[in-house]
Amino acid sequence: MGTDMKNRAAVVGSAQTEFRGAWSDRQHVDLITQAVSQALLGTGLRMADVDFVIDSGSDFLDGRSISNCGFLGAMGAHHKEESRVEEDGLWSAVYATTKILAGSGSVGLVVAYSKSSESDPRNFWSTLAEPFTQRPVGLDQHSAAGLYAQRYLARYGIDPEALRAVSDRAWAAASDNSWVDAKHAMLADPYWEEFVATPLRRRDMARPVDGAVALVVAAEHVARQVTNRPVWITGMGSAIDQHFLAARDATSFPAAAAAAANAFRMSGASSARDFDVVEVSAGSTVGELMVLEAIGLAEPGRAMDLYAPGSAPGLNASGGSLPADVVMATGLVRLHEVASQLGGRSAHGPTGATTGLAHGAGGIGMQNHCVVTLETS
Amino acid sequence: MTTTAGLPREVMGAMDARLSMPYTLTAGAATGVFLAELAQQRIVGTRCSACETIRVPAQDFCGDCGGDAHDLVIVPPSGDLLAWTVTDQGTVALVLLDGTDIPFLHQVVEGDPAALSMGARVTAVWAAEPQGAVMDLMGFALAPSEPVHAVEEAGETATPIEQLNYQMVLDYQHAYGHFYGSLFDGIKNDRRIRGVRCPSCRNVLVPPRAYCEACFVRTGDWVDVPDTGVLQACSVVHIEFIGQRVPPPYVYAEIVLDGTSTRLIHTVGGLSAEALRSGSVHPGSRVQAVWSDRRTGSLSDIDFFKVIDGPADE
Amino acid sequence: MTQIAIVGTGQTVHSRRRLDVSQAGLAREAVTEALLDAGLGMDDIDAVVVASGPAMFGSVNQPEKWLVDALGARYKPVVRVTSGGGTGLAGALQAMNQIKAGLARRVLVVAYDKLSEGALQASISTLYDPFWGREFAVGIMGFSAAYWRARMDKLGHTEEAAAMVSVKNRKNAMLNPKAHVKKEVTVEEVLASKPLCWPIKLLDVPPISDGACAVILAAEDDAAAITDRPAWIRGMAYYSEADNGPNRSMLQSVPLKVAAARVYQNAGVTNPRRQFDVAELQEPYTCFELSYYEGLGLCPEGGAAELIASGATEMSGDIPVNPSGGCMGANPIGATALIRLAEAAMQVTGKAGAHQIGGAELALVQAGGGWANLRGVAVVGATKD
Ligand SMILES: [Zn+2]
Ligand SMILES: [Zn+2]
Repeated sequence: MGTDMKNRAAVVGSAQTEFRGAWSDRQHVDLITQAVSQALLGTGLRMADVDFVIDSGSDFLDGRSISNCGFLGAMGAHHKEESRVEEDGLWSAVYATTKILAGSGSVGLVVAYSKSSESDPRNFWSTLAEPFTQRPVGLDQHSAAGLYAQRYLARYGIDPEALRAVSDRAWAAASDNSWVDAKHAMLADPYWEEFVATPLRRRDMARPVDGAVALVVAAEHVARQVTNRPVWITGMGSAIDQHFLAARDATSFPAAAAAAANAFRMSGASSARDFDVVEVSAGSTVGELMVLEAIGLAEPGRAMDLYAPGSAPGLNASGGSLPADVVMATGLVRLHEVASQLGGRSAHGPTGATTGLAHGAGGIGMQNHCVVTLETS
Repeated sequence: MTTTAGLPREVMGAMDARLSMPYTLTAGAATGVFLAELAQQRIVGTRCSACETIRVPAQDFCGDCGGDAHDLVIVPPSGDLLAWTVTDQGTVALVLLDGTDIPFLHQVVEGDPAALSMGARVTAVWAAEPQGAVMDLMGFALAPSEPVHAVEEAGETATPIEQLNYQMVLDYQHAYGHFYGSLFDGIKNDRRIRGVRCPSCRNVLVPPRAYCEACFVRTGDWVDVPDTGVLQACSVVHIEFIGQRVPPPYVYAEIVLDGTSTRLIHTVGGLSAEALRSGSVHPGSRVQAVWSDRRTGSLSDIDFFKVIDGPADE
Repeated sequence: MTQIAIVGTGQTVHSRRRLDVSQAGLAREAVTEALLDAGLGMDDIDAVVVASGPAMFGSVNQPEKWLVDALGARYKPVVRVTSGGGTGLAGALQAMNQIKAGLARRVLVVAYDKLSEGALQASISTLYDPFWGREFAVGIMGFSAAYWRARMDKLGHTEEAAAMVSVKNRKNAMLNPKAHVKKEVTVEEVLASKPLCWPIKLLDVPPISDGACAVILAAEDDAAAITDRPAWIRGMAYYSEADNGPNRSMLQSVPLKVAAARVYQNAGVTNPRRQFDVAELQEPYTCFELSYYEGLGLCPEGGAAELIASGATEMSGDIPVNPSGGCMGANPIGATALIRLAEAAMQVTGKAGAHQIGGAELALVQAGGGWANLRGVAVVGATKD
């Protein structure tokens, strides 16, 4: 790619609100300011030091057009450069890092949030589909996941019941994550056993939650001043698949593979196995397996092996997106998790980790993928 | 203005809001033909001029290679069931129609989903009364003995459907939260408007909020604000449009309540037709809220603002 | 740091209602033309930025997901940046940063809106906080008219002065083959036109258009190889302002001034009135063009009415503004900001045809959106510096 990178960028701070099924006594702006002020807190940086703000949210989820417009003050963007990336917050982090690498600023604030409890999240998903032939036949995040799951499980001869290992592990990890209101015991409720898109049950699907996350990205000269443990962003890549689900590969995510390949080329990594900590996003258990295979953490059809007891300790130690999917923020949450773990600011994850990978996705059936790699020196 | 304790007497939960908007959507030439031909019980696909893949429904371009896909073909209404998923919206399915390269996303209708199997032969089920939309093809049903048919060149096709009417309805329950909740609780029960003061710039902010945007510091004391103020800006609305809540003509107003530094959006009312026409209401006019009999916990609890005497704010 | 140039532009012929193409197909038309202009194919494009208006305008959430197929962008990085009416410029800024950072060499920016498909004022009214004034909203027109009324008193932005903007831009649009509305009007006709939100009247308002625009940006060495007439981007910035923060000034836009100051500094512009040969300003209503004259330093505060009356901003004046016809010629909202940038590039490369300003070498671009609180500025030149 001929990358001629003179600047380096690091994550110097990040924070999230608690993720809850519903923050019914908070507005979006309340969640946003909470995350933003906490992200700055540990860095010693003040809002006046922030050069620009890049943010992710959804007009459809927020029930407002140009919804960033009304939340600018809460994001600290007043009289700053600001842009809305209407995609998962990991893409906002990529834009912010890009601006730093470009020399367009020294300190960037990245914000992502969702309050899917204020509407039926199904509307958010179904309106992503082309409205003439895709939306009317029942395409949404659940049916897309079901179609992938049936073909994936059939191709690799995996019993749908085996998927319990994936959701159990995610929810068990979330139980140990004080920032998420999901507890493994909740899965005992028959509600989670209902089939929502065969062969997948509700426990196989990402659970929409409310919350906000904020992250501070800084150029090297600032990063070295404000922290003795900057978490360097070493690679970034993204790639999108075609829109029509039917036309995409049946059992793999080539766009995720392309995104990872771009990030690895930039960071010099050879595969996801090079990283101590990996946090991936997924809309369903099978989606998570397909992401892990696409980024090279497992051979095709073998990602279930990673869920054997004791294996892959650095994988989704936060619980990942299945117990807590902050729709427009989930990928940025992954980055926040990896940066926190590498920066020694997290209560979970393996000790001594120095390298990490964060993955985000967008679109129906995870059409769009983004991978960011990080390292502490 | 007096400082008051900031706790609401009741918790304001959420406000219902509905966005309901009509659309006339254009599908494009190829998909327009596909939709039109369903009424003739024909399924139209396209062949990519570059990579030659045949896909259904017909598309103007090829998602595989980005090429033009204008060559229309008639695809047989039969094929192999590749995958399906049972949801509360029906059994969504992928069917590889005979002679095509890209599966077709639709539904399986009729029969017990338990009887389905991967690779099963299926055939189209048609709606009795076509509406000019994709559901004119209701879906597919098992047809074990259906022979394999071939794709044919389209020849003469129907005039494309150019527009589809679509109504998007989105319902929200917007949380009031502590700050708006306290404000609208006061408005609803006490006809009392309250803001917060920024401890840094000392400005009073209405609606109240957790952080002052200018200083990015946490706001401080709650402050009672009078229902009088100055018209910062106004316009006379004559236009009518879909979804309008207030019948025109009316005066759209942005008001700075006395002692505050922010804008309250409302209307100026009680005006004669002549006053509306001449635009005699002008920025700088003093105004006061006229409270309604309604107690909704919203700005609708104020009927409108009326012009009152007093020195204009200059 | 590498310099960046615009190496290709494309626009649809903007019109009231395109029944022959979908939203995606509309975007593809502009891209096809831009690729042709640059002599490139999609294989040459490293990344795509989709910049389109608020998604509710077209009922398709995150429409870049749908556009991918029409753009032939499978497996490429595709991201959507959105910022109300100024979206196109916000998208171009994203593309610039990708190239500056060394992450891409050629980036395609595409912006579009197909406003014929939705109920425009109802859609725009959803911009309002559901708790704070949405029930009284008239899109953004009631708000815009209200603050024009305030500027009328304080800055002398009279109805006549705004009418002259309409007359000028509609006249210019006659020369633009891509323009949607081609009909000259007189000051008297504008003043006598139907009040919609007084002081805004029918002829102060741009048309509602279907249209798309695409721009290809390339790194310095690439640009020279692609075209012998690159349009060099000499500066670009996009600033915001809290919509209801304390003491927000509606008379002069702070984010516009901040953006202009930064861009002028980057571009070495100290006397905008004298240095710029042409300007493309995004005027969603006539009154805004007057306001921008002042915010961009083309005249002193309170001098806009005098500037338009002097004829200086006409095609034949010393600082022609909107030779393309501006939004009065075509207003596919999500695309209008990128159209301004494309038109500026066409001017400094001598590709503007009948609406070319002779010898134009330095062009000013302004765009914005939201609650008049998102404001972008760019400078495009025939030379690197
Ligand atoms: Zn093809
Ligand atoms: Zn303050």
